[in-house]
Amino acid sequence: MTAAALEPKANMGQPVPRYDAAAKVTGRATYASDMPLDNPAYAFLVTSAIAKGRIDRFDLDDARGVRGVIDIITHENAPKLKETKLFSNGGYAGTTIQPLKSAEIAHDGQIIAVVIAESYEAAREAANRVKVSYTATAPSASFESPGTTTAAAKGQNAQFKEDPEVGDFAKAFDAAEVKLTASYDTPTQHHNPMELFTTSCVWMGDNLVIYEGSQYVYGLKNGVAEQLGIDADKVRVVNPYVGGGFGSRGSMTPRTAIIAGIAKRLSRPVKLVPTRDQGFTIATYRAETRHEIKLGASRDGKLVALRHEGAEISSRPDAYCVGGTKTTTRLYACPNVESLVSIVRADRNTPGFMRSPPEVPYLFALESAMDELAVKLNMDPVELRRINDTTTEPIGGKPYTSRSLMACFDEAAKAFGWSQRTPQARSMSDGDWLVGYGCAATCYPTQMAPSAARVRLQRDGRTRVEIAGHEIGTGAYTVIAQTAAERLGVPLEKVAVFIGDSDLPPAPVAGGSNSTASTCSVVMMVCDQIRQRLFKAVRPSDSLADKAKETVGISPAPSTQATKGDRPLDIEKAFDALGVGVVEEYGEWKPEGAPLDSFKALHAGQPRFVGGHQMKDKIAYAFGAEFVEVRINRFTHEIRCPRLVGAFAAGRIMNPRTARSQLMGGLIWGMSSALLEATEIDERNARYVNDNLADYLVPVNADVPGVEVIMLSEQDDHINPVGAKGLGELANVGTNAAICNAIYHATGQRIRKLPVRLENIEV
Amino acid sequence: MSDKSSSRTSTFDRRAFMAGAAGTALVPMTARAAAQDANVPVARDPSLPVEVTLRVNGKDKRLLIDARTTVLDALREHLKLTGSKKGCDHGQCGACTVLIDDRRVVSCLTLALAAEGQEITTIEGLATDDRLHPMQQAFVDNDAFQCGYCTPGQIMSAVACVKEGHAGSEADIREYMSGNICRCAAYPNIVAAVKQAAPEIMKG
Repeated sequence: MTAAALEPKANMGQPVPRYDAAAKVTGRATYASDMPLDNPAYAFLVTSAIAKGRIDRFDLDDARGVRGVIDIITHENAPKLKETKLFSNGGYAGTTIQPLKSAEIAHDGQIIAVVIAESYEAAREAANRVKVSYTATAPSASFESPGTTTAAAKGQNAQFKEDPEVGDFAKAFDAAEVKLTASYDTPTQHHNPMELFTTSCVWMGDNLVIYEGSQYVYGLKNGVAEQLGIDADKVRVVNPYVGGGFGSRGSMTPRTAIIAGIAKRLSRPVKLVPTRDQGFTIATYRAETRHEIKLGASRDGKLVALRHEGAEISSRPDAYCVGGTKTTTRLYACPNVESLVSIVRADRNTPGFMRSPPEVPYLFALESAMDELAVKLNMDPVELRRINDTTTEPIGGKPYTSRSLMACFDEAAKAFGWSQRTPQARSMSDGDWLVGYGCAATCYPTQMAPSAARVRLQRDGRTRVEIAGHEIGTGAYTVIAQTAAERLGVPLEKVAVFIGDSDLPPAPVAGGSNSTASTCSVVMMVCDQIRQRLFKAVRPSDSLADKAKETVGISPAPSTQATKGDRPLDIEKAFDALGVGVVEEYGEWKPEGAPLDSFKALHAGQPRFVGGHQMKDKIAYAFGAEFVEVRINRFTHEIRCPRLVGAFAAGRIMNPRTARSQLMGGLIWGMSSALLEATEIDERNARYVNDNLADYLVPVNADVPGVEVIMLSEQDDHINPVGAKGLGELANVGTNAAICNAIYHATGQRIRKLPVRLENIEV
Repeated sequence: MSDKSSSRTSTFDRRAFMAGAAGTALVPMTARAAAQDANVPVARDPSLPVEVTLRVNGKDKRLLIDARTTVLDALREHLKLTGSKKGCDHGQCGACTVLIDDRRVVSCLTLALAAEGQEITTIEGLATDDRLHPMQQAFVDNDAFQCGYCTPGQIMSAVACVKEGHAGSEADIREYMSGNICRCAAYPNIVAAVKQAAPEIMKG
């Protein structure tokens, strides 16, 4: 046993190694751009050097003169594509800015030409020889720029229906014994998954195969079909492995249909491998946000008034927003709450989901403010959370299905050694280093979506599970295999899992941390269908057939312990009775409360999420508590973060090994969000400056000395059949606040703007 | 643009490449000298494919490729060895790390022509007879990856890190593995994997 394989507690599965481990350590795992193509033409993108204006003229002579160039596609000769709608408006796209449609430029780095050549090298050279004349106008880059427009999110974004409020905030705040008003800023960030935003398109007659790293193969398939004006059944998206997603591959980007159209015209496979810097503008990003928090409390620490106002940047045409007030207004008991989210439009590419889209920026504000309030109250910040802990959310008065927030605080505090902390700021040091301890809460909505699956069982126990899920590093293959093995009682090594292919039964987008709950619930259901068939065949008159749901183990040697009183089924007998060689079942599952059109939408590539605060009569969240130690050199102001400790409760943990890895990666993401990551914007040109992996800082191994993950045992029977809460986006929330709270403790300086760099420290 | 099974030996000459690609200013004397030799073209069009023989995982591979082709693109696009990954093409992320004559190099910043005559080892060449290399096994045991895209580069770098003698402490491992970015942030598990595999690699 290694540290990676945590000993399972109650309601946890086995920490088996990853299903895809051998493929990934030998280089045999095939990502989209690894797929062999027959005589591909290579595409290289040319992107706009201005953020706003129009293209007057292309001079392509020089580029066309490069040996091996096949064609250069601009708006003047591009394949015609149909308009596309934003995913939040019933479409598939992450942006409605459609490049190569006209001479208009909507943002810096927009695709303006595609060079096609016999080799990657020739395509690249020719792309660099494309000359463009523009008429540029001054762009609006961000919050500070002239020319932006601001409006409430409510009314313009279909997924942001209301600004949560309850009671009378103004009156309560006015009368509060202790008050806090503070503003917080979070920066632009880019996902930067390791795999580039590659796309390969291959036509076979009228049928299109797309190899592209995607977090939603059904969405991409349907979206590209819509743009090309062809039947969705003619499009297949294949990606058995995805080199990181973090939200960047959840919605369709314009490049895919463009490459598909070019491949069709050429009657030849086309392979696009964009550069790292192009990835900053041809996909989405986490937009910068601004917040004002007002907290009113009684002297004993009870919240009496809470107001959270947030503003987020989006593009001119698209009203994207994350609206994290839906969570921050419900996290603590408070009778008087008000909130407002606004969208500020600038000349930028449309932002999109990035790991815990609402929670990362919005909980930074709230969890920093809670720490500030604790200082004002002269109270331990853990105790402030305890005083305001609640089992019902304050806006609608709905009960949490389970809530282990304070249990997480207590476990993490113990492991961290919180009791060693002296409360006064600047009271701890070690030689030249000022030492600070800080903490914050994290939470993430528990979400589910309709899903389908097919399972085939053979006489010898070999099992094949088919579901168009996605392996983005979360362990999807592994937990799906474990679910089928446990449910059917077959050995794990006999289960084969097929995912990442839109020809398989549809699964929802791998986003919103819904995948494990959704895919494992449907696989469990379909395995039960198989068991029902087998039991009925052997004992047609036996009431046991109806009990099959409770009966574990249909093979003589089940992988899991059969419960007492189980009568293992003679699998040979059952197959003989059925007169078949294979038993195969297909099924579609939807969570309780899913809308009527769920299954239709499932096949059309439109997920119907259920969960979080949007459930009837209840609210479901996963919770955690994070503690950090920071050390700040009193002379150089160098900031180090030697210890991160997180405790989390997320219902059933399917596999403590893969879960721990996700939570560990999340904690490091959280640290990075506080201390490293920011996309710098040139205000004059609305252009991303540090668009590469040397200047856009992400953590490297030396940045991460000590990370401890604690998983609490938690059972929740009110969320989904497997009882799992998504945790992929749980651990990177709140860490940014915990670090700023620790910096305050170390230095006495409150930092309300991320990221914190050494030049921001004034000790 | 693929494997050529010509029986001729390579006619590529480094001097001709320099003369063609870098312009005549660099090597005018050589170019003029070469002009005397009918077998070596002088004013060679640099965009014409050149022949190169790469020794990859113990086997010679003859290729006809664009002179600007990197080792990474030669492996991926011409030899169908796609284990080495492109993450930035700028030597910033380490996903393309391979061993060249036992040294770890970023193959995206190494021209294929410059690697001729050297021993290139990729992730595909690490396991023997279906048995995982100790470092590969250690990555499995310690769950030292999530999405897996950076993993081939991490493993090649880790093997070199151990052989360089930089796996003596956790702090050393962290420092000498910092050229390989893992966006999923499996770092603590990577350190554990390197620690586990180091003794066996040093022994064998």
